[in-house]
Amino acid sequence: MVLPLATLKDRAAGDALLARFGRDFDCSLLVGDGDVDWLIVIRDGEVQRVTKGPHIMPVSDLRLRATSDTWVRFLEAEPPPGYHDLFALRRYRRIQIEGDIRLLSAYLFYLKRLFELLRPMGTPA
Amino acid sequence: MSAATVEPIIGRYLNLDLLGRSHRLYIEEAGQGIPLLCLHTAGADTRQWRGLLNDPDVTRDYRVIAFDMPWHGKSSPPAGWETEEYRLTMADYSEMTLSIADALALDQPVVMGCSIGGRIALVLAMQLAARFRAIIGLQSGATIDPYYELTWLHHPDVHGGEASAAYVSGLMAPASPAAERWETLWHYMQSGPGIFKGDLYFYRGADGDIRERLAEIDTGQCPLYLLTGEYDYSVSPQDTQTAAECIPGVKFSVMPKLGHFPMSENPALFLSYLKPVLAEIKALG
Repeated sequence: MVLPLATLKDRAAGDALLARFGRDFDCSLLVGDGDVDWLIVIRDGEVQRVTKGPHIMPVSDLRLRATSDTWVRFLEAEPPPGYHDLFALRRYRRIQIEGDIRLLSAYLFYLKRLFELLRPMGTPA
Repeated sequence: MSAATVEPIIGRYLNLDLLGRSHRLYIEEAGQGIPLLCLHTAGADTRQWRGLLNDPDVTRDYRVIAFDMPWHGKSSPPAGWETEEYRLTMADYSEMTLSIADALALDQPVVMGCSIGGRIALVLAMQLAARFRAIIGLQSGATIDPYYELTWLHHPDVHGGEASAAYVSGLMAPASPAAERWETLWHYMQSGPGIFKGDLYFYRGADGDIRERLAEIDTGQCPLYLLTGEYDYSVSPQDTQTAAECIPGVKFSVMPKLGHFPMSENPALFLSYLKPVLAEIKALG
């Protein structure tokens, strides 16, 4: 487990890009970091609750899962090519993206930003 | 605040018959000398070439010309567009490029295209090499590995501009300047409904797969340069390398710290890779 999701609420609070691209966004997002699942509840663009698993029958709109090794590289301040973006991970089959892809597409800037905020510097956007 | 400046770029509209229909196309140019015709990426427009068009080192020796494809930027779709679905074919794109070069009476131009334009650069090298002084392909590949569904790029439930921009945002290098990256994304957000998706019609389909035909390219007839940004995962350096291995005499190089939109995401860095190529082409005479 490497993603600092326990601090996500603080990282996301007041972020201008999340505010810009998160209008009316409601989502239960399940993030897999190796064997550990996290459930992130977003309401009206605000990260309301982040809960570390295990979860009993979690309800989620979207599920994004990758190995911890993948997330380690994704989290580098200047990540290597192929690890620098959620869709880069998808391109090389390093992440599983499942669920409501309509919702993912409508709020993809928000979701990409959310994961970028987990990097040490929280950038780039 | 800095002082107001006027850029040397001139924009004009060209009226011409293209693919059997009347079109009104927007064209920008700057400089004089060897014509350099630039092809923008899918779902974008000539603004991607702003750095090149504004660079005095380039425009001293090159007449840089970029056009908005029909349905893109300030080029209108043809009359009757409201009843059809836009789908770009490989043949239409190469014919369009040649028609515009002819309409502007360009003598042995250099053509440079990026992404879908980079694929067309390969097609032009294959089919029309005698018409060009040199060909430059940016982010060129002979085929593409689809890694996302196109459905949501044009759907009533999703803002197509924001979705298209978000789908391509990660193709740029993380270290490219934020202002240039977001400028590049703005072009995608302004794209007409379904246009990015329609541009990908040939690019992702069997129509545009030219893997088996690369050996037809004769670089002795027309020099071919391929440059690919290292952060691109749509057309990765390995993808261009795979194509280059089938083309004797091609000059391929990887551009570190750039992605899929080199000319637009970081114009200054891109120009540092491009200028030696332009100097080499100029020296060929």
